[in-house]
Order: sequence, then structure tokens, then C-alpha cells
Amino acid sequence: MTFLIQQTLLYAVPLMIVALAGVFAERSGIINLALEGIMIFGAFVGVLFVRIMQGSAWISAAKAANAYGTLQFFEVLAMLMAALFGAIFSLLLSFASINLRADQTIGGTALNLMAPALALFFIRLIANQNTLYIDGDGPSWFMIKKAMFGYGRTESMSWLGETFVNKMYLATYICIVLFVVLSILLYKTRFGLRLRSCGENPQAADSLGINVYHMRYAGTTISGALAGMGGFVYALTTANCTSNGDVAGFGFLALAVMIFGNWKPGNIAGASLLFGLFKCIAAAYSSIDINGDGVYMLKEIGINENVYRMLPYVITLLVLAFTSKSSRAPKAEGIPYDKGQR
Amino acid sequence: MKKEPFLQREGTKSVLASLLSILFGLAFGAVVILIVGLTSKDLGADSAWEGIRLIFGGLFSTGRGSTGLLTWGFNGQNIGNMLFRATPLIMTGLSVAMAYKTGLFNIGAPGQYLMGTLVSLSVALGIPAGSMPKAVIWLLAFLAALLAGALWGSIPGALKAFLNINEVIACIMTNWIAANFVTWMFGISNFKNIVENTKSSYIYKTTYGLVDGTYVSGAGIATAKLGMDKLFPGSQVNGGILIAILFAVGVYVMMEKTTFGYELKACGSNRHAARYAGIADKRDIVLSMAIAGALSAGGAGLYCLAGNTEFFWSTYQSLPAIGFNGIPVALLAVCNPIGVIFTAIFMSMLSISGLQLTNLTAYNEYITDVIISVIVYLAAFSLVIKMWLGRKKDKVGAVNANAEPAPKAEPPAGAKPEEPAAAVPGDGEKGGDAQ
Amino acid sequence: MSDSQDYVIEMLHITKEFPGIRANDDITLQLRRGEIHALLGENGAGKSTLMSVLFGLYQPEKGEIRKNGKKVTINDPNDATALGIGMVHQHFKLVEVFTVLDNIILGAETTGAMGFLKKAEARKKVEALSEKYGLKVDLDAKVEDITVGMQQRVEILKMLYRDNEILIFDEPTAVLTPQEIDELMATMKEFAREGKSILFISHKLNEIMAVADRVSVLRKGRYIGTVNTAETDKQQLSNMMVGRPVQLEVSKTPAQPKEEILRVEHFCVPSHVHKRNAVNDVTFSVRAGEIVCIAGIDGNGQTELVYGLSGLDKSNGGTITLCGEDITHLSIHNRSKNMSHIPEDRHKHGLVLDFTLEQNMVLQRFKEPNFQRGGFINAGAVRKYAERLIEQYDVRSGQGPITRARSMSGGNQQKAIIAREVDRDKPLIIAVQPTRGLDVGAIEYIHSQLVAERDRGKAILLVSLELDEVMSLSDRILVMYEGELVGELDPKKTNVQELGLYMAGAKREGKEASA
Repeated sequence: MTFLIQQTLLYAVPLMIVALAGVFAERSGIINLALEGIMIFGAFVGVLFVRIMQGSAWISAAKAANAYGTLQFFEVLAMLMAALFGAIFSLLLSFASINLRADQTIGGTALNLMAPALALFFIRLIANQNTLYIDGDGPSWFMIKKAMFGYGRTESMSWLGETFVNKMYLATYICIVLFVVLSILLYKTRFGLRLRSCGENPQAADSLGINVYHMRYAGTTISGALAGMGGFVYALTTANCTSNGDVAGFGFLALAVMIFGNWKPGNIAGASLLFGLFKCIAAAYSSIDINGDGVYMLKEIGINENVYRMLPYVITLLVLAFTSKSSRAPKAEGIPYDKGQR
Repeated sequence: MKKEPFLQREGTKSVLASLLSILFGLAFGAVVILIVGLTSKDLGADSAWEGIRLIFGGLFSTGRGSTGLLTWGFNGQNIGNMLFRATPLIMTGLSVAMAYKTGLFNIGAPGQYLMGTLVSLSVALGIPAGSMPKAVIWLLAFLAALLAGALWGSIPGALKAFLNINEVIACIMTNWIAANFVTWMFGISNFKNIVENTKSSYIYKTTYGLVDGTYVSGAGIATAKLGMDKLFPGSQVNGGILIAILFAVGVYVMMEKTTFGYELKACGSNRHAARYAGIADKRDIVLSMAIAGALSAGGAGLYCLAGNTEFFWSTYQSLPAIGFNGIPVALLAVCNPIGVIFTAIFMSMLSISGLQLTNLTAYNEYITDVIISVIVYLAAFSLVIKMWLGRKKDKVGAVNANAEPAPKAEPPAGAKPEEPAAAVPGDGEKGGDAQ
Repeated sequence: MSDSQDYVIEMLHITKEFPGIRANDDITLQLRRGEIHALLGENGAGKSTLMSVLFGLYQPEKGEIRKNGKKVTINDPNDATALGIGMVHQHFKLVEVFTVLDNIILGAETTGAMGFLKKAEARKKVEALSEKYGLKVDLDAKVEDITVGMQQRVEILKMLYRDNEILIFDEPTAVLTPQEIDELMATMKEFAREGKSILFISHKLNEIMAVADRVSVLRKGRYIGTVNTAETDKQQLSNMMVGRPVQLEVSKTPAQPKEEILRVEHFCVPSHVHKRNAVNDVTFSVRAGEIVCIAGIDGNGQTELVYGLSGLDKSNGGTITLCGEDITHLSIHNRSKNMSHIPEDRHKHGLVLDFTLEQNMVLQRFKEPNFQRGGFINAGAVRKYAERLIEQYDVRSGQGPITRARSMSGGNQQKAIIAREVDRDKPLIIAVQPTRGLDVGAIEYIHSQLVAERDRGKAILLVSLELDEVMSLSDRILVMYEGELVGELDPKKTNVQELGLYMAGAKREGKEASA
């Protein structure tokens, strides 16, 4: 059970934060199809940052001394780098779709093609192979261990501690906090109100003196930062802190989660947990022992792992099919706003 | 009727815009190489210069001479391989282009391509060799691929037509479903190569045939060469390229000359108006996507049935690039089916250059993907580029204004808020008085 | 002219150009404090452009704006708001999924620490304003759920919330019933009494005569003049507006109705918005040689009725008989064999804007044997046919048959549709708001075409929101209210006031509604 919850959380949280990235872009009126690409880019930058910094005296000393605080700070720093570069990368989309009024679907597709190409080009140059590793076992430096809290090797932290603290990542919880804070920002503040108005009726927003271009830039930039960060968190927590120009469709899955959640943070959190569960089952169904009786039930049912893998996508399609009447995308999303034509 | 000057014709501007995009994309790739070369300790200006020359002229590279310098010349093998790679690209490009002309963004080409791969390989490898003539097996496999693609493509089509679900989202979902489905099916199939022990994660080439329960090399099928091997000796090219070109011409005729094409385009440009005029809009949307799906899957058929290709079957984590590359091929061709032939060939030329880059220098083929993505990025605002190309014309136009007010000046009568994209972006009523 | 201190806002010699067009050419407009000043002009005369300049949405090429005699620059709506200028736009600028309160405060929010909204304060202020002027709204309702009349009150409250002193109303009456119009006029007069200055943009002479102190007239982007309403009359204003004497009435002979063409019985169409039927139990008929007009306020089921008749929407009850044939369950294509349809929204339904004019001309007919052979389009035949229609109906465009529909003017787009539909020569013509947004010349032309078709023995079903059009064009009037036909009137025996009562649901055939 502990394993199942931990794994589900590890998959669900990047999904959740990247889906929220989608919300910020779309609520401001820009379709961000490039979530996948930005994730790839963020993962690449974050892993590269860790790889470059790991040899520095500062980090080496921290590793030698088991200075957990420093290492957690290092993790946060890498997340920030991924977010920063994700935001910068997303400016390409903002510029094309806001200033040049480009087709946002094509623009997003371009970014999705560009990110893996750039990442792989540099990974190949740097590492002479198609995957960027870091020396040693990155995740184990960053993982929260019970030793940090003074527990010994054989001591148990109680069920709650074992499930939610031991072997988890600070990044996961930072994402959850960010998710809550940003959801409040979206609904309770002036900025959020204005951002949402731009995705629904930019002409109205403009007539009230709200700068639609600025709000849309803000939306996509926040979106880029979150997706970039989400990409690195994905790489750190589920891909062993490596980057290979791919996040296995996670960005697209996040897009599905966003639609599934009807562009509302609360629903999105629920949807990501559901999808996280599927991902977790698909990745580890043969070793999941739900009730601890030593019987690997899911394996014994004999359902092919690929069925679990495709379930999130199938469910999304089904949900879309059944809710298409009530599903409400931001009304102005995808439509370039032209100040000259109102 | 006034004939517009050559430089101001829509077609000319489109071609110019595409050429500009290509040029800019290549230049961007060259700049990246240059920067990397100049800033890297191990590389240098010389290597960067080599890389840049390969980007622009990789097709005519013949390797390195005894002195270590790059050598150049006509390379029939390269050109043949370029045409071979172009074959499926023409098909996926046609798929995207055809759908785009009918108002649908077919980002589902990778999934349709995978379904084509699954079905064409299954039919080709599933029918025992000798039970019927090889040509018939080939034809059956190819037609089955078309059919599978059509069915797969019609799923997002139907979701769009009947439930108004955005086809982009539906296509993305069906892509990943296809990736898992194909992995699943091949995973439980007998088509995994167990004869060549290093190739166990691959499916047999179709030149293997089922003889008495085991696969025997040479007993299977391969696309006829139709003389292409004589033209480009040593390369992989076969008659498939001719079939792809035939498809391109066919799609062109269908879209431009027939009532069916008119109907599909009417539906794509304005579904409401098409419906109003009595056109079966829902059926047409499904048909559009089905045809697009068939084209993509047909590309897979042409590629897989060539006989000299193998397929890595555990593909659940990745989608075939040939599918996605249909998008740049189509956009660069401004969705003109005949143009697709040329842009697909150009794209494969790029990938040949990329291979040369990997083989001959410290750089790698991914730079060509960067170039392609830059080209797609530019295609996203090709309208802006075209406007920029046509700027002179607009100035003239203001003077000889045909006594007609600017198009955007018209208030979109009754443009309901829920239909802002219908006619004019924005609700234009402020321009309403500009008459 | 009196001292410029009398004017709260002056727009002097404003010129605004768009590519290929001069929308405002040296226009001067001076607004006195506490007056209601009407801006009169046809569709396309430049009224909205001028107001957009005042509101900071456009920058003029020439001219200046003065407030209280001092020159000001208005770069965006924020500047306009700072100067106390507010505007009720013709197409409301409301966010449909937001609540009324959110819409009112949007852009002028009061916030506490870290940008958190303080809605309680805002609510009090709005409630007070709503009380003071009798502008009843439900602050917590979503805009998409409230009536058009209430949406307009929200727009007015938006201006008041911002303490605007100069209020611009852009065609505010188009969506209201005659009674609601009267209320609005009263509110406007109340504002003026309080010293607020009002710019009232309209092309409706009755309303201007009723409420305005002065009128400035624009025509084709030029300033024609300013007159006091007390010293003018409708005919003079309309001559100023159009530039030539205008016939205010449509000339037609009494109808000679013949056999019944269309018969609709107990017809129902479900709504896309709510659970009730948008069209409920409607029964009527149209005979050859008469123009029957469906009148009503926008959104009372007229659109759905036409969709149901043409097959664009499915019906869920009743029958339609056209030329003796039950067409209730036929496809759009099969219905159109006896029906022409000039649709309400020419951009949505009428034209494929990216197609050429000739392609649009055969939109329903491309499969007919004269336009195709074996599935291949007969381009020559299409061209010839389009050229004939263009010639016959005087459709003007840049490049003739190969002009993109998108690049044509609204009037000519509409003419193209009318040419196509009339030329199909079907016994029934359904025309929905055929003159919306067009200038007087085009309107006259379209009206005369419809009357001519009537006289050729066509049955014409007209749906219109313009009361003038309803009164002058129709031979019989059917009033639609909340999806039902509530009255049949004879235009010669009724008047606008009575029509308005029916339209507002205050009166019903045979009984006085209790409301």
C-alpha cells in the first residue's frame, strides 16, 4: 500500500503541476500544446544543471558530509533552473501566438519538435550517447530519508512517515504547495480575475483597460515555468534524474488531465491522482502487493501491461465523449487577439 | 479579370514564404553548429565549417578522402536513399495536408502510421508464403494498411463530427493508444525476429516468409523495384516512391477537380455553411479523417513492405517521427498535394545530411530535427511572412481600392460570442463603420 | 458657437484611416455638460470608429480631443476611464462565465494585500447604485444566464461603478422591447438631469427625436452638421443621414394571397440552452403571394424556428408541410428542393468566406447535372452561371467570380446570397434579418427584391427584429414570445406600441396576460 501511494504520488504530481501549467496558458487564451516539449526542455536543463554542478566543491563537500539541507537546496535550485528555462522556451510560443498571431496549434507542435531535437543534439555532443546521466545515483542524494530525522536503518517511521516522508522527494511537496497557491491566485486575486477574462472575452478585457497581450504573456510564461519544472520533477522522481529528449507523452497526458478536469484545479488534482494510479500500475503492476498478503493480484489477473498503459488515454477519450456537452474550454482560447480588430 | 503580376500571386508568395522558411531554418542550424564549434574546446572553426557545409550539401557528400578532407560529388546511393525515405513522408504529408484543407489538424498521423505498420506487417507475415502469389500478398497487406488507417483515423473524425471534440486532442489520445496497442499486439505475436539473434526486439522484415511454421529469409515479399534500383544503384529505393507520387496526384485531383473535394473543403472552411447548403457535414468530417488516416497508414505500408526495413516493436513510449514529420512536410508545401512531393523529398534530403553529419563529424543528426522544427515554427506564422512579402502590393491596393471597403470592416452580422472564430477574429464591430 | 468652457468633451477635426479607407474624415463633435447628444448615421457612417477614438481604442491620424477645454490624449480605455468616459458597447463586453459582480469590477477592482480581491466593498457600492437608479440585477448570477435587458443594466452599472461622467451608449436599443426602450430613455434623462453628459449613438430617428437635445449627423465618414432636435424633424434628419430624400415607407400593392405553400402545425424545437423547448407548439401557414413576418425580441425562438424549418436543428414535435409534402423528417438537402433560405448570419451560414464568389454561388447546386460531370466539377458552367448572377443582381466585387467572399463588403455579400437564393426559384423564401447591418441603399434594394418575389407568387417568411421593417414590409405579422406565437396582427391595423406589448409578453391573443 505504501509503495502504491508513493508511486502514485510520484506520477500524479508532475501531471498535476503540468496540467495546471496548461490551465494558466489556456485561461489566458493561448492553447499550449507545447507542454510536452517544454517538459522535455525543462528535464534536460535540470539534469544538465545537476550534472554540471555535481562536481563542484560545494556539492561534493555536501555529499561527503551528508549535508541534507544543502542537497535539498540544490534540488530546489535545479527545479528553479528548469522553471526558468521552461519559461524562456515558452516565450517562443508567446511571441508567435501573441505578437505574430500565429496558429497556436502549429506553434505548439513546432516547440514539441524543437525541444527533443535541441536536447538530443546537445546530449549527444555532451555525453556522446542519447541519454544524459549524472554520475552516481542522483535520486538518492535528493530523496528524503528517515536518517534525516534521526531514525536508524531498522527503525520504522510509523505508517504515515514511511508513506509520505521516507523515500519521497521535497520536489513533490513543493509542487503540491505551488499547485494550491497558484490555484488561489487564479481565483481570488485581481491578477487571476483579469487573466481569466482574457481567455474568455479579450475584447471585453481590453475595453476595460486590461492589456490582453501582457496577460497572455503572463499566462504562457507561468505555464512555461511550471511545465519546465514539472519536466525536471518527472525526470528526477520517475526517470532516475536522466534526460533522453523524451518524457513518454507525459505532457500530452497532462493536457488530457487538464481537459478531463474541465480547466478547474480541483478536478485536475483528482484527475491526476487517477491517472497517476494508472501510470503506477502500468509501470509496476507485477510488483504491487495491495494488501500485503504476498499475492501480486494485478499480475495474476493476467491483463497485459499495455492495457494499463493505454487506459488513461482511453478513459480521457471516453470522458470527453460523455462530457463534451458540458465541457467548457475557455471561450477565446486559440484565437489570436488583434487589438486593431475589435 | 485582372491577372496579378507574377510576384504578387498567391502561389508565388506561398512558394517564396516556404523558401524563406527553409533558408532561415538552415541558417539557424548553421548558426547553432557555428556557436557550438567555436565555443567547444574539442571542436573548432574548421569542424564547424565542415558541419555547415554538410547541412547545406550533405546529399552530395561522398565521405572523407585519404587526406581527411570532405569529398563531394554526385552520389546515386544518397539520392536513392533520399527518395526511399521520402516515400512514407509523402504519404504522411499528404495525410496532414489533405486534412488541413478540410479544416482538420491531423496530428494523429503517427498513430495512423503505427496502425498501418501493425496491419501491413501482420498481413505480410501472417499469410504463409506460397499460399498465393507474392504480388497478391503485397497488395493485400497494403490495402489492409489503408483500411486500418482509415478506421483509426475515423475515430477522432467521428468524435469531432458527432460530439464536437477537438480533433487535436482526440488525435493525441489515439496516437498513444495506438502506440500501446501496437506494442501489445506485436508483443503477443509470432512476428518477433527470433532467427537473427541480435534482432529480437524487432519484427521480421517482410522478405521473411512463413514456411512450415518458421520464418525463412527470402521467402517473403518486397515492393517491386520498378527500375529504380537501376537508376540509383546501391540504394534502398523502390517502386514505392512512384506509388506515393501517384497518390499525391490523386489527392490533388480529388481536392481541386471533383465535387467531393469541393464538398470536403466547404465543410472544412465553414462547417455551418456547408450544413446549411445541405452537405452532410458529419459524414464529410469522418470521411476526411478516414482518408487522411488511410494515407498515413499507406505510408507505413510502403515503408514496411519494402522488404529491407525492420520495426522496433516495443514502441509504447515513442511515436514514429515519420508521422509527425508529415506536419512540416504539409505546412511547408502550403498543403498543396503536389508541393508535398517536393517538400517530402527536401525533408529526406535533410535527414540524409544529418546522417552524413553524424558519420563524418562530431555533430549529430538531431540538428536536422532542430532545423525542421524551426521551419514548422515559421510555418505557424507564414501568413505574416506572406503579408510582409505582399506589403508593396497593399500600398498599391490602397490607391486602386476596388471601391470595396476593407474586408475586416464588416461587422460579423450576429457573430454570437460562442462563435468568435467563425468569420473574423475579434468581433470587428469597431471596424464596422470603416466603410 | 459659445465659449468652449461649456463643452465637457470636444472632438475636433478627427481623421482616422484604415488601410484603403478613411473611416473618419475631419469630424468635429462637441458635447455639452448635462445634455443628451445623439450621433446619427447609417451603418458604416463612422459613428463607432469615432467613439472608439474617444474611448482610446483607436488613435486618430489628425485632430484633437479636449476635456473641459483642455487638450487630452487618450491612449487606451484606462485613460478614458480616468477622464470619466464610459461606454455601453453595441455588442456587450461581458465575460459570460463570470458573475455579474465580477463583470462590474473587472478592470477596476479594489484589492487588499497581495492583490486579493475585496468583493464585499464592491458589492455594497454596486448595490447602492443599483438601488439609486432602479437598475435591478442579480449580482451572483452568471452573465450567460441573464436576459439581454439585464446584461445591458450590467453594462450601465459598469460605467456608474467607475464614476463615469460622460456616458456613451452605442446603439443601445437594438436588443430591447419598446417598453424596455422607454425605461432606458427615462434612465438616460435621469443621468442628464444629474449633470452627466450622454452621447447616444443610433440610426433610429424616433428614439433620437424622443430623447436627444442635439443631433450630430455623419455620412460616409464625414461630418454633415449638428442640429437641435427641437428645430428639426425626422425627414430632415433622414435626408442628412442618407444624403438624398429617402422613402421611409416601402411601396407595395396589397397582397394577393393564393394557395397555401407552407403549413406548420404544433411545431416544437428543443433549446440548446435550457430544458424547455425553444419553439413550443407553433402553428401557422404562409400562402403564395404574401409576406408573413415573425416579429419578436431577439432570443424568443425565432432563430430556432427557422433552424427547425430548414432542418439545421431537429424538431421534437409537430409537422411541417411544404407544397403539400410532409417534410418534417427530411434532410436539409431534400427540404431545400422547395425552399430558399436567406440565413440570419451570412458569415456563419450564408457564405464560405474562404471560397470564391463563384464557388459560393453554387453552394447548394454543385451536384446538379449542369455543374458537374461524373463527379468532376464543370468549372466553365460554374463560371458562366456566377457571371450571370453577378450581372443580374449587381453584385460588386474586386475580381468578379474569383473574388474571395471574405474580401467583399457586407452589402455585396448579402446581395450575393440573395441572388443565389432568389435565383434558385423555390416556392418558399425564408429571409431572416435580411437587411441587418446594411446601409439604406442596400436595404431599399433588398426590400424591393422581396416585394417583387412576392408579386411573382412566392411565399415569403420574413424574420425581423427591426420594427420599422416589420411594419412596412409584411402583409401579416406573427409575434413570437418565449417560443410561442402570441398574436397575429395586421400591419395596417396595429401600431408599434401594440406590437411591443405582444413582443414583451404583456399581451396575448385573446387574453390580457396577467403580468
